[in-house]
Amino acid sequence: MERRYRQLAWRMTAAALLVALIPLYILGAGIYLYFQTVQRESYRNELQNLAINTANAMQLFLAERTATLEALAHAATAEHLARPGELRKLLRLLNRRRTSFLDLGIIDAQGNHLAYVGPYELQDHNYADSQWFDETMLDGVFISDIFLGHRGVPHLVIAVKHELGEQPWILRATIDPDVFFKLVRSAQLGTTGDAYIINRNGQLQTPSRFSAGVLEQAAFDVATAPPGVSVLETTRPDGTSVLTARAWLQDVHWLLVVDRDPSEPQASLLLARNTELALLAVGTILIVFAAMLQVRFLVRRLEAEDRKRATVEAQLAHSARLVSVGRMAAGVAHEINNPLAAIGELSGLLEDLIDDRFLESSPHAPLFRDNARKIQEHVERARTVTHRLLGFARRMEPRHDTVNINEVVEEALSFIERDAGFRNVNIERRLDTTIPVVETDRSQLQQVLLNLFNNALDAVAEGGRIIVQSKATKDTIEMAVGDSGTGIPKEIASRVFDPFFTTKGPGQGSGLGLSISHSIMQKLGGSLSFESEPGRGTVFRASLPRTTA
Amino acid sequence: MAIHVLIVDDEEDFLRALVMRLELRGMDAHGVMSGDEALKTLAERHFDVVVLDIKMPGMDGLDVLRAIRRSHPQVVVLVLTGHASQELNTEGRSLGAYDYLIKPVKLETIVERITTAVGHDPAEEGQ
Repeated sequence: MERRYRQLAWRMTAAALLVALIPLYILGAGIYLYFQTVQRESYRNELQNLAINTANAMQLFLAERTATLEALAHAATAEHLARPGELRKLLRLLNRRRTSFLDLGIIDAQGNHLAYVGPYELQDHNYADSQWFDETMLDGVFISDIFLGHRGVPHLVIAVKHELGEQPWILRATIDPDVFFKLVRSAQLGTTGDAYIINRNGQLQTPSRFSAGVLEQAAFDVATAPPGVSVLETTRPDGTSVLTARAWLQDVHWLLVVDRDPSEPQASLLLARNTELALLAVGTILIVFAAMLQVRFLVRRLEAEDRKRATVEAQLAHSARLVSVGRMAAGVAHEINNPLAAIGELSGLLEDLIDDRFLESSPHAPLFRDNARKIQEHVERARTVTHRLLGFARRMEPRHDTVNINEVVEEALSFIERDAGFRNVNIERRLDTTIPVVETDRSQLQQVLLNLFNNALDAVAEGGRIIVQSKATKDTIEMAVGDSGTGIPKEIASRVFDPFFTTKGPGQGSGLGLSISHSIMQKLGGSLSFESEPGRGTVFRASLPRTTA
Repeated sequence: MAIHVLIVDDEEDFLRALVMRLELRGMDAHGVMSGDEALKTLAERHFDVVVLDIKMPGMDGLDVLRAIRRSHPQVVVLVLTGHASQELNTEGRSLGAYDYLIKPVKLETIVERITTAVGHDPAEEGQ
């Protein structure tokens, strides 16, 4: 394709793509945004449910432990439990399924240990000044915050008061919070989710996945958390924006915090989003492909139309040029014919008047007679030229002359014989002298033959051969022009009659000769074809239908 | 009997030479240089053949041809002109010209056309 057609094709493709792809992408962006909103919403709900469930599970855990201790405290007396071995038996019983009670102690109203079983040396410890002791004596139940025991392991203490007898006493147990930690850890979702518990002073009760360990201060102001469950967007210390759910645990006044990066993809939505992206990609490819194909088709057709129009215009221009050249030639011929006729007659008269007496009058007299004859011969030569010019000047529309094609062949040959002579090209005539006349346009046929002769002359090398043949078949009169040139390569054979196709150098051939010849032959009801053998030469055949007399 | 030929041509040198050469060949040739003159001469004398140029100042050859066909239908007209064209040929013939010759023409051709035109064969005359 030519440059300007390529440019046109690009512009058309760009426009088509713009029109087709923009709505597609707007739709795609809309769906994408919708997915994001859905994901955010589903995250929010998920997180809230998770916080509630986890909070409930922890409350249940604490309530169960508390209830167990209360049941024990009320089912027995301090004396009974303080008996040696009794408390140890009870601890074993409590831990039969799972070790969650680390130690047990019986403490009287004065804060003294009545009995203790456990890994620590607390037998002689007095708790009268401890805050938990006061609170237990006051409220009947106490659940401590997490604290690090003597061995640096996080602990939790639950204490219940026995109130039935005259002397109240306290059953105190240290709880292993590991189950607790596991519960919280299970709420740490995906790769970015975090979950931890903070007490009312802002101390971490369970380790945070990303920020800090147990009992360290959380980067979180507990006071801002509204009662019950709330979800909001916050920023982590490391700067990531997260969705955070917070739930207060009733009995202990702890705050459960669960957060998660909302941009972390969710499997089901990820699939939907990827499917959408894939559909967009496929749609884009299809649209691009279709647009390019269609534009290509259109531009090709446009180019073909343009080419056809250019051909017609060029043929018209060519014909117009031929007509004007012909008119000029005719004008010149007319102007020359009259003086030529005068010269001819005047010299003829001189010859007529030269008699024997004159011939004897001077030794130069025969020269007068000879020259008078020669002048007439030259007039005759000039006449053939002007009459041939007149022959070419005839109108371009097909006319119906009665034509002996051998004559036309001879006329056309006379134009190239000089050139052929210079280049030592031998022209061989194989003319059928009995060929019947045809009704056709003499000057146009002459133009075709002249074209074929010129091409043949251009095709043969110095010393080459051109064979001109005429013959009659049953239905046609045929003229063949063969040359001993290099032949026409197969690759270009199909384009020989194409307008503007030429193998001659720039300025040497218009590429129109054979094209015009071909259309002339068709206009005359005949045909023009060729056979070529590369390396051996080419034969062009022009044939006309035989006219029925 | 000699053939009476009227030659109409505005080219004087050509006209005189042709007239003399035809007379040398035994014809009674007379030359005039315009259409008006030709018609005048035709009215005065009898001619068998008129040899007529087409492009002439004053009356055009084709007009002269029309006039001759009207007034002297028995006279044979040969067109002899340097301004040859297919249209002129066709028109001339349709107006009744016997033949159409393009200058320059060999004298023998002219003589032959004139004699065949009037049906006179010089050979017959000699007998």
